[in-house]
Amino acid sequence: MIDWLISPLVDFGFMRRALVAGLALSLVAPPLGVFLTLRGMSLVGDAMAHAVLPGVAVGFLLAGFSLPAMSAGGLIAGLLVAGLAGGVSRLTGHREDSAIASFYLISLAAGVMLISLRGSSVDLTHVLFGSILAVDSTALWLIVGVSSATLLILAAIFRILVVECLDPLFLRGQGVRGGAVHGLFLGLMVLNLTAGFQTLGTLMAVGLMMLPATAARFWSKRLEGLMGLAIAIGMLSSVGGLLLSYHAGLPSGPCIILLAGGIYLLSALFGRYHSVFARWRRRVQPMLPPDAHG
Amino acid sequence: MKPVLTLESLSLAQGDRLVLENVDGEFTSGSITALVGPNGAGKSTLVQGIMGVLKPIRGRVHCAVPNARRAWLPQQLALDLSFPMSVEELVMSGCWPTHGSFRRYGGTEYRRGQAIMHRLGLQAFEHRPLGELSGGQRQRALLGRTLMQEAQLLLLDEPFANVDAATVDILIDVLRDMAREGVSIIIVLHDHEQLMRLADRVLLLDRGHGTWTTPAALGTASPTAGALFSTAPASMTGEQAS
Repeated sequence: MIDWLISPLVDFGFMRRALVAGLALSLVAPPLGVFLTLRGMSLVGDAMAHAVLPGVAVGFLLAGFSLPAMSAGGLIAGLLVAGLAGGVSRLTGHREDSAIASFYLISLAAGVMLISLRGSSVDLTHVLFGSILAVDSTALWLIVGVSSATLLILAAIFRILVVECLDPLFLRGQGVRGGAVHGLFLGLMVLNLTAGFQTLGTLMAVGLMMLPATAARFWSKRLEGLMGLAIAIGMLSSVGGLLLSYHAGLPSGPCIILLAGGIYLLSALFGRYHSVFARWRRRVQPMLPPDAHG
Repeated sequence: MKPVLTLESLSLAQGDRLVLENVDGEFTSGSITALVGPNGAGKSTLVQGIMGVLKPIRGRVHCAVPNARRAWLPQQLALDLSFPMSVEELVMSGCWPTHGSFRRYGGTEYRRGQAIMHRLGLQAFEHRPLGELSGGQRQRALLGRTLMQEAQLLLLDEPFANVDAATVDILIDVLRDMAREGVSIIIVLHDHEQLMRLADRVLLLDRGHGTWTTPAALGTASPTAGALFSTAPASMTGEQAS
């Protein structure tokens, strides 16, 4: 058993790099996911993951399979979609999520078109679903750099994000521009999606963001608890998924995300709060006495 | 006394609809002013104008209180109360003017927070998540934040809606204390009895215009006084056991 866990990491450099990449991503993507779920933006992450695609494709067309080029392309495309969606929603008064939905669809179609114009279908699979084997030192530096920067920025804007989620007008009254914070937050999300696509693929990268966050909500009602649990679930999925992928010869991205998905399903069934089991148990208990007002 | 807030022929619009025209007024330190009027008369619009969220189309708002010391207690429905935050964390977020995004709260702030929660009868709930509180407890926690903020100008939009009678009593006491300490309070009210207990003066908004009066005059002089108080939705009056 221990051999099953350790030997791939001891024997192969690419597994060690993949492990570090996975752990680094698991440290920052889940907290971003927690904020996304709390801000009612769960599907925005998904939309942005699709939006990143044409940029990655352009990077691929220009520079071949180069991670920095593809990441830069993805980052530009993601920020462009976020910026355009924010602009359109501000100018027209439409809700931002509908604008994001529109732009990501345009972006996704453009990306698929670009990739099919140039590359083979193998390339498309690679971009969509990632490959852990291809994490070289450049990729690792990029991922670790992005994670560290995200962690620092998230720490710096943490209090603003918390206060703004609850009551945006309070901060506005204090002279903090909510739009700027929101933009920075979306930027961080795009940055992490582009960092994650190498190992997980553009479509799966968002999984490491959302699934640990949604699973954690069944276990904790406190923000620190949600963050800590989401990170733990993300790390567990990353390590477990990698080993599973190695031993069973399966693609790494889906392995990691399916593992996280499994944890989500178990949490939804047996979690401490609001899970199926918790609700069932609550129903058979006698009613609590009415809460006395202090 | 020098007014902390002055409205000069203020006109405000929502989109292309003119809501308020030529509203004048002076608000002094320590005064409690009730904003009264039927639904759609522009009470919330005026609050937005005073807070600077809505730019006037004519006239101006002159406020001597810096932004950081203006507090706004919005209607509860405007807040996302499922957010995993405890009562203490909400109250402590009132430290924003002095601590901003980065500074760590120290022992002095925490002790002040404790005292505020005690004053509001929230000491038993300090670690409770907001989502598990009753409407009245939440409203007290929100007022706790404005106390922490050491607000000098406080605007409240229907603070007694969806709130139990015990909370109304606590809130009225605390607001009176705040006024005594020099805070200028502007409060949107629907209930005449609460208005009599709390307000010094009344700004009556009707059909886009503002009229200044007193609580007593409002109650006796006008035979249609009842009609001036907009009727709150049934769901709110249900718990308003005053």
